Amino acid sequence: MGPAGSLSPMDAVETLPSTVCVAIARDPALVRTVRLVAAAVARRTGQDEEFVEEVRLAVGEACALMVSDGSEAGVVAVRMGIADRLYVEVASDTTVDVEDPATADLDGVEPLALLRGLIDDVTVVQDAGTTVGMSWPLS
Amino acid sequence: MDLSLETRNADGRTIIEVGGEIDVYTAPKLRDKITELVGEGSYHLVVDMEKVDFLDSTGLGVLVGGLKKVRAHDGSMQLICTQERLLKIFRITGLAKVFAIHGSQADALAES
Repeated sequence: MGPAGSLSPMDAVETLPSTVCVAIARDPALVRTVRLVAAAVARRTGQDEEFVEEVRLAVGEACALMVSDGSEAGVVAVRMGIADRLYVEVASDTTVDVEDPATADLDGVEPLALLRGLIDDVTVVQDAGTTVGMSWPLS
Repeated sequence: MDLSLETRNADGRTIIEVGGEIDVYTAPKLRDKITELVGEGSYHLVVDMEKVDFLDSTGLGVLVGGLKKVRAHDGSMQLICTQERLLKIFRITGLAKVFAIHGSQADALAES
C-alpha cells in the first residue's frame, strides 16, 4: 500500500480505467517522447505547472535509468493512471542495475537518488525485469 | 527539441550557451563539447543555462564531470541559471552548494 492507504503505484495502474500506456524501444532518443506524454497526462489532473514539471522530470529520470545501460534489447513500458493520486509505473523487461547505472561514465548523478529526493512515494521492484513505481497526491 | 551549443570567449573565459533539453540522449553532446574545450586549453568555463528547457541527472552528471576536468587544471566552471525548475534539481541533489550559480553572464564574468 502507498501513502494514506492508497493503492501502490503498481497495483493502481493495473486497475484504473483511465490508464495511459506507452512503450518505447530502449533508445535514449525516445525518452523525450515519453516525457511529453507524461506531461500531457499530468496536465489532465488539473494541478499546477510545477506539478506537471515534476512528473515530466520524474518519468524522464525513470526512463533514463531503464535505457542507460547501452543494451537495445527489450522495451520500456510506461503506464500512468489517475485516481485519488497520479500513479506511474515505468517497467523494463530486462533487469537494470538501478544503484549503479551505466551512465556513471558521465559522472552520473544517480537517477534513483534524484527520484527519491523529488517524490515521497517511489518503489523499485527487481525480478525478471525492473519496475519503478511512483505516485503523487492530487489536491 | 534537440540540444544547441554555442561558445564564445569573453574576459578570458569561455561561455557555453546551452539551449534545449539536456537529457540521457543529448548530454553526451555537452560532455563532448566540454572535453573539447578543455582539450584546447579552455579551463575557465561559464555554462549559460538560461535557454535550457529540461535538465535531468545525466545532464547534472556531465556538469559535475566538467567541473572535475577544469579543476584538474586549476580552472573553474560557473553556471548561469535563474529558472526555478532547474535550480530545484540542483538543490535536491546537493549540487547547488558545489557549483557557483549566477543570475547573468555579467555576474559570472565579474566573479574573480
